Amino acid sequence: MTAITAPNMIVNPFATRFTRPGRLVPLDATGRPLDVGVVVESLRAAGGRAAIVGPHGTGKTTLLLALADRLAAAGRLAGVVRVRSWLDAAGLWRRIIVTRHGATLCVDGWEQLGPLAWMTAALARGRGCGLVVTSHREPGLPVLVRSEGSLPLLAALVASVPSHGDLIRDADVADAHRRHGGNLRESLYDLYDRFESRCR
Amino acid sequence: MKLPRFFAKKRGHRRTGSQVWGSFGDGLFHAVLLGAGVVFGGLLASGVAVPEWRINHDFLPTSCTVVAKGLERHVTLSAPGRAEPTWQPCLRVRYEVAGIRRESWTRPSAGAATADRTLALTRLSSWRLGEQLPGWYDPSDVSRVVLERGYNWWMWLLALLLPGALLAFGGAGVVRSVRRWGKSEERRAAPSRLSGILDPLAGGPAQAPDHPGVPAGDDQVNSPGTQLRYRLPIESPENWTLLGFGLFAVLWNAILILLAVGAGLDLLGGRTDWLLIGLLVPFACVGVAGIVVFVRGLVLATAVGTTQLEISAHPLRPGGTYDVLLAQGGVGRFASLEATLELEEQATFRQGTDTRTEKLTVWRQPLQAWQDLQVTAGQRFEGRAVVSLPANAMHSFASEHNYVRWSIVVRGAPAGWPSFTRVFPVVVFPGVDGEGTPPSGRLSEAAP
Amino acid sequence: MNQQGEGGRQDLRVLLQFCRADRRYEPLAALRVRYVVEGLTDDQPRAVEHSVLWYTEGKGEEDMGVHFFERLTERASLPPEAAAGTFTTLLPPSPLSYEGVIVKIRWCARVRLFFSGGRDFVSEYVFEMGRIPPARPPRAGDA
Repeated sequence: MTAITAPNMIVNPFATRFTRPGRLVPLDATGRPLDVGVVVESLRAAGGRAAIVGPHGTGKTTLLLALADRLAAAGRLAGVVRVRSWLDAAGLWRRIIVTRHGATLCVDGWEQLGPLAWMTAALARGRGCGLVVTSHREPGLPVLVRSEGSLPLLAALVASVPSHGDLIRDADVADAHRRHGGNLRESLYDLYDRFESRCR
Repeated sequence: MKLPRFFAKKRGHRRTGSQVWGSFGDGLFHAVLLGAGVVFGGLLASGVAVPEWRINHDFLPTSCTVVAKGLERHVTLSAPGRAEPTWQPCLRVRYEVAGIRRESWTRPSAGAATADRTLALTRLSSWRLGEQLPGWYDPSDVSRVVLERGYNWWMWLLALLLPGALLAFGGAGVVRSVRRWGKSEERRAAPSRLSGILDPLAGGPAQAPDHPGVPAGDDQVNSPGTQLRYRLPIESPENWTLLGFGLFAVLWNAILILLAVGAGLDLLGGRTDWLLIGLLVPFACVGVAGIVVFVRGLVLATAVGTTQLEISAHPLRPGGTYDVLLAQGGVGRFASLEATLELEEQATFRQGTDTRTEKLTVWRQPLQAWQDLQVTAGQRFEGRAVVSLPANAMHSFASEHNYVRWSIVVRGAPAGWPSFTRVFPVVVFPGVDGEGTPPSGRLSEAAP
Repeated sequence: MNQQGEGGRQDLRVLLQFCRADRRYEPLAALRVRYVVEGLTDDQPRAVEHSVLWYTEGKGEEDMGVHFFERLTERASLPPEAAAGTFTTLLPPSPLSYEGVIVKIRWCARVRLFFSGGRDFVSEYVFEMGRIPPARPPRAGDA
């Protein structure tokens, strides 16, 4: 955490620098830390190619990056690729081509590939390249984890960010969760706004 | 011994792991492209470009006499296990080199190889025995002679473009990967001599010289005003929406017309394509709706009339005062017309596969408001206002994903039409200009 | 405030001291920073980087602009041979520190130590440039 040096400076604990994927520890639906090692073993059991499936803002990317970190520590990570549209397929193919056999490529946004997804999966299979992907819908790969937003999960996330100095109450967390239908990301934005309006 | 990590992770302000291997794959890919460019370029240069250049620069002129002609037969594999002959017209010419008579076969470029022997013979007949032709011989190999010189410009373009693109893209990628290899984020972001060359399209808006983070504001001073110094450009979403609808209507109805013509021709020919006719119905509905929406928007935009804003000076500075002239065109009555000065923050975040942009107006100051205006044709309404920026106002800021924007916003409520909002961006520079005095832009005082 | 490294560097601290105790500067002013490294073990840094930069914080992606950067690799200028270090720069006219609602602009000085194995340790101190008052979220009834 950055030191607060100026009287005008307000550190909003829900700013993206504290809540973006990779900054938070992946949690399960009950709000407890997810055992990433177990997920890695499940990936191995699934043949090295699997998906994290769930709606928007439920922690898929956060879990993907935690998995990537674990794979990197084991020397098995080929890279992390973010796909925004089918136009990114070419870049993804080039990464698969240069990936050494047995390494795993983490892909965020698999559903954006559209009809090119099966071709990409086939290329990875042919190259012996592992795949862990995030997707909003069933991607034709074994499902590793189904992510979903829940109130205990949101509450645990709020507890894990830098202190909000009691400006955010449990009722705020519950209200944000209710208003955004389980979308954790939108809930955190909501809490950002509440913190800003109360701290000035 | 710990192995280097392929992925560097940042938790809050802690950074763990290593960036060393993070871009290895990227660098490898670009190295492959660079290698391909070198190989391809080398092949093209040695096989095409260099020989052609030598012919035009090194070969010496001579006079050739056609003494024989014939067809050269080549066998090519058009399919596995299937060989086909091709025929190449050739001429045997006699010429002199340093007083010594020589004879040599040459392939004129006008007689390209063909699988059609009859065509090849026809081409060959265009040359006569005993015909005198200009030629050029290779001084390093006098048995080699050509009858044409010049350049195949398309081949040179190909030789430059394709390998050039591979070399540029691959080379820049390799250099970029090497530069970024194992470097901290501060070191990567620190400006260098190569930054502009390697990343000409790097994200981020144009910035004012000597004022990092402040937008350049060139657009605001491109157009002189009629009464005040500058006429401000408009940034109005309704214009872009109208343009979008217009393009959509044109493209969609063009496709609709093509389909309708196809269906009509089929009907005239006695064929009824029910599937095509069935598709035409929803297509036509969408096409008509597109036209209606576009025309309605166009009528609204033109009926209401244009809004113009002029300002006495630009860029603005905190503590400064500036004259503003608002001119509203159109015909009819306006229930109200108001101008406000607004400060807006904009933040863009890429979340997963979505891009989320949020805007928030954090400060608003009314400048002037007019009620119950009557605008007549050829006589636009003109109103004046004064912009006074607070001495501690934040300056304009623009980075790749975050903005702090100042604008003069005009809101109008024309009678009988929907109300409109037209935004005129302005740029506010920081207050300190090295002399401690915020300049004034009023006409009554000397302009900076 | 120091940033904790990982593993066995829990005791490592890099303390920065600014020429102005309140760490509030005007644009175009001189910024002088002195720092001290404490808690080094046998693993000695191979390089140190000094930087003065601004970054954004809020609801958007974090953008960054580096105003001053230098990297030292000579043994004599690295801790523990050099127990303290200094760097000086003239601050630019912009961007000013800004406490917006969804966009904030922060200035900071960073000292980053590099160790073998590609690992590093960074210490960051935020300072203020300019005197722009905080923006506030719009309230109901605002014009």
